[in-house]
Amino acid sequence: MRAKIFDIQRNSFVDGPGIRTTVFLKGCNLNCKWCHNPESQLPKTQLLFYQSKCVSCGRCKEVCPHALKTCEWCGRCAVQCPTGAREVCGKEYTVEEVFCEVAKDRIFYQTSGGGVTFSGGECMLQIEFLREILKKCKEQGIHTAVDTAGDVPWEYFEKIMSVTDLFLYDIKCFSDNLHREGTGNSNELILQNLQKLSEQFSGDVIIRVPVIGGFNDREEELKQIATFVKKLRYKKTELLPYHEMGNYKYEALGRQYTSYYVPRQEEMEKYRTFF
Amino acid sequence: MEFYTSSKYKRPIRLDEKTREFAYESLHCKYGRDTRKVPYVSLKHIAGYETMSALDQYNCAILEIAKTAPIRICEGELVSGAATLGDAIGHNVPARFDDTREEMRSVSHLTVDFFEVLEIGMDGIRAKAEEAFKKHVDPEKKAFIKSCIHCIECMEIWHNRYVEALKEKTGFETVLENLKTVPFRPARNFYEAVQSIWCCFAFLRLCGNWPGIGRIDVLLGHYLKADLECGKLTLEEAREILAHFFIKGCEWITGESCVSGDAQHYQNIILAGINECGHEVTNEVTYLVLDIIEETGISDFPVTVRINKNTEEKLLRRVAEVIRFGGGVVAVYNEDLVLESLADMGYPQEEARKFANDGCWEVQIPGKTNFSYVPFDGLKILQHVTLKDYDKTLDFEDFETLFEQYKKDLREQIEMIYRQRVLEKLQEDNVHFKTATPCTVVALFEQSCIERGISYHEGGTVYNVISPHIGGLPDVANSLYAIKKAVFDEKIVSFKRFMKILKENWENEELLRKHILNHYQYYGNDNDEVDFIAAEILDDFSDMCRKYDKETPIRFVSGVSTFGRQVDWAPMRLAAPFGRKSGEVLSGNLSPTPGTDTSGAAAIIQSYCKADLKKQHTGAALDIGFIPSNIDSDNAISAIVGLIKGFVRLGGYFMQMDTVDRATLIEAQKNPANYQNLSVRVSGWNARFVTMSKEWQDMIIEKTEK
Repeated sequence: MRAKIFDIQRNSFVDGPGIRTTVFLKGCNLNCKWCHNPESQLPKTQLLFYQSKCVSCGRCKEVCPHALKTCEWCGRCAVQCPTGAREVCGKEYTVEEVFCEVAKDRIFYQTSGGGVTFSGGECMLQIEFLREILKKCKEQGIHTAVDTAGDVPWEYFEKIMSVTDLFLYDIKCFSDNLHREGTGNSNELILQNLQKLSEQFSGDVIIRVPVIGGFNDREEELKQIATFVKKLRYKKTELLPYHEMGNYKYEALGRQYTSYYVPRQEEMEKYRTFF
Repeated sequence: MEFYTSSKYKRPIRLDEKTREFAYESLHCKYGRDTRKVPYVSLKHIAGYETMSALDQYNCAILEIAKTAPIRICEGELVSGAATLGDAIGHNVPARFDDTREEMRSVSHLTVDFFEVLEIGMDGIRAKAEEAFKKHVDPEKKAFIKSCIHCIECMEIWHNRYVEALKEKTGFETVLENLKTVPFRPARNFYEAVQSIWCCFAFLRLCGNWPGIGRIDVLLGHYLKADLECGKLTLEEAREILAHFFIKGCEWITGESCVSGDAQHYQNIILAGINECGHEVTNEVTYLVLDIIEETGISDFPVTVRINKNTEEKLLRRVAEVIRFGGGVVAVYNEDLVLESLADMGYPQEEARKFANDGCWEVQIPGKTNFSYVPFDGLKILQHVTLKDYDKTLDFEDFETLFEQYKKDLREQIEMIYRQRVLEKLQEDNVHFKTATPCTVVALFEQSCIERGISYHEGGTVYNVISPHIGGLPDVANSLYAIKKAVFDEKIVSFKRFMKILKENWENEELLRKHILNHYQYYGNDNDEVDFIAAEILDDFSDMCRKYDKETPIRFVSGVSTFGRQVDWAPMRLAAPFGRKSGEVLSGNLSPTPGTDTSGAAAIIQSYCKADLKKQHTGAALDIGFIPSNIDSDNAISAIVGLIKGFVRLGGYFMQMDTVDRATLIEAQKNPANYQNLSVRVSGWNARFVTMSKEWQDMIIEKTEK
């Protein structure tokens, strides 16, 4: 069994408790306009091209079977590219291979109360693989977290609840229209799933709300989210301010990015009081 | 009034407003500038000075300093005594016969013993010296011991001047009362103990020396405990008193530029860890020190905490909280490993458990050690000797042959250091030390010098250690690894051609350079292949030194450091095989080469710990940098604690962590006036960033995470 993974980051302090290794699975069923990992959205392997790093040496063209006219994501150009301007995004991993990476920082999970976090994209779309790797980590005593937008059938949650210690659950907005506008999908299933999860899951749930300047940073919207989540059982809520650190990746994918702004610190402080 | 921090959190306020003001002024150079005003005392008027022996000249200098150095009593100070002569800031005895030049170099890289003076007072030490004077017959020894007694008398003269001056002032009644007892008689309570150590420390510094303080919580903990128990003192009062000790220690901050920045007078402090009997020493004083540096950001006493597998969680979290405010003030030792290392050297267990450091991180037994190190550039040996400045006729048929040749060349370097530095120090019998510059004041606080009648630099201490320190080791490992991959494994370039390319500093070979730079995982990313190259060299290096250890009374053991020498070495270095051009500033200490570590702090620690670090008997330091925004969450405290614990479990030696971002440093370089108190961890010490030379500032910026 294999999964398409686009990055494995060690030493993360922000994807759950302690020191964590975050495994990013490729493919997402939402299409958030502000996504800071745009390379995660399509399930297939993609080629990233960083114009600013390119020195026009032409080696990529020499080794490409199609002389760069079309791409089959064979990755030959990236291997040859001396400057790293070409990067293949998305690689198949077996459960064993992912575990091998995860296990490297095991000692630091123990010393910091950390563990592994599966993120994406929407990692739950590759649910069978996810269940296997979570099971493997759990058996080996590693704390497991799943970072999800929640727009998947409820049965998917049922499949992994017993091998997951923590869900990091994103709520982007409460009003359905706004959700459709920003992500392309309704939030009905998302809210339903969160409700069920809070009732049926015995582990921890951390609810995370991205605050996107110019999209959902309205008091009313955020207050509605707060009212909704307050009825639920969860460990805590985290408000995450929008940042622009993913913008360069849109360029590398040859895409336009939608411009949002970073909420000011005072605004963030105020919003946090709602929750 | 705010004390600088790079964190979004505000520093807590616990101290009295007046104490905070005192700290603020001191940190903003008020007393440092004052110290600069009178650089030295003059010896010109002393008849026959030029024909005197060096020891007599020294005796005259100390007397003149004691008699005429300016007295400084700051408004509201809770401890008195001050090192007021400017030449001392430059590591000299601040007394001159000829106005145009400094007379005598002073002593640094030592932590003296303050336990004895607390217990028996300077009077007790004087009695010890008088006893020794009677016992010895050798005229040289007698002269030395006489010099010891003379220096104690000088200290008394200086001390009396403070007592008299304080009598003239109001509001100093308690200070005066304390000074009537200490440091000449034993300290009876916490306040007296703080004043006693301060007096001795200030006098040592007044005479030009740069000693460390050592285990302050062991020195003071039991006094505080007793005072708290009988209600003589509250914890808040104790904090104020101790804060004044720290503030007074800033009296050499001048704000003036010098190469490696100010604030590096090696006044190190050690906290926590076990005592001679194996019991944890952490006490209220440990936490008071952390409170004080957390609040004021005073970085002039670099603090290192001895962490072991049983260190309490509360202490670890406090350490992480202080680290988060930046300034690089707190570093950690892995006590378990350091003790193993000292045992491996043959130090008795009880003795080893007393360890402190010399001023940076080189471990030593306080009051018993004369330590010096001999730094050399490991990368230079690879480039100039093994690869003969990239001679185009050079060829190696396989990687192993190259690797063996490097180790052979390294061995020759060690032999040379042994001959030039160890044997040179000794007389022809290889047992007795040659005559050296006098430094008697230091000997007062070194056990055994007085009893033996031998000075600090002439073999009077219990342990004499000279340690070769290899620098640039990660660059050597990266270089060898790049050659292994590109030439022998992947064969993308021949050895001879590679030598030519390096000789020409990668000219017209930008693609190959980029390939080598970007496609291999270098030291600091938890890649066994390169990490074990580093580990193997370190292992062999240690063995090479041990071959000469115990051949003479001088111990000869290895260590790793560059401190900041990677800046000075840069212009002499050729292009490095792992894609670096000539003249670049490369790795510091045992830390990854800037720009090559892409896998985070946990991976850096893993790489660093693959070597058997207990064989680096005088230390091997790792520097870790955090971006403040990355550790501004609550979880970051757990993460930092986790990194420290992981570092201990994996067998690290010494780790210093700093939090500052590049943008702030670049801004500070442009507008120094706004960043007067931005302190950065340079190496074993901290320095105010704006007082460093441009080259050193650039080095700090380069090594800071992008």
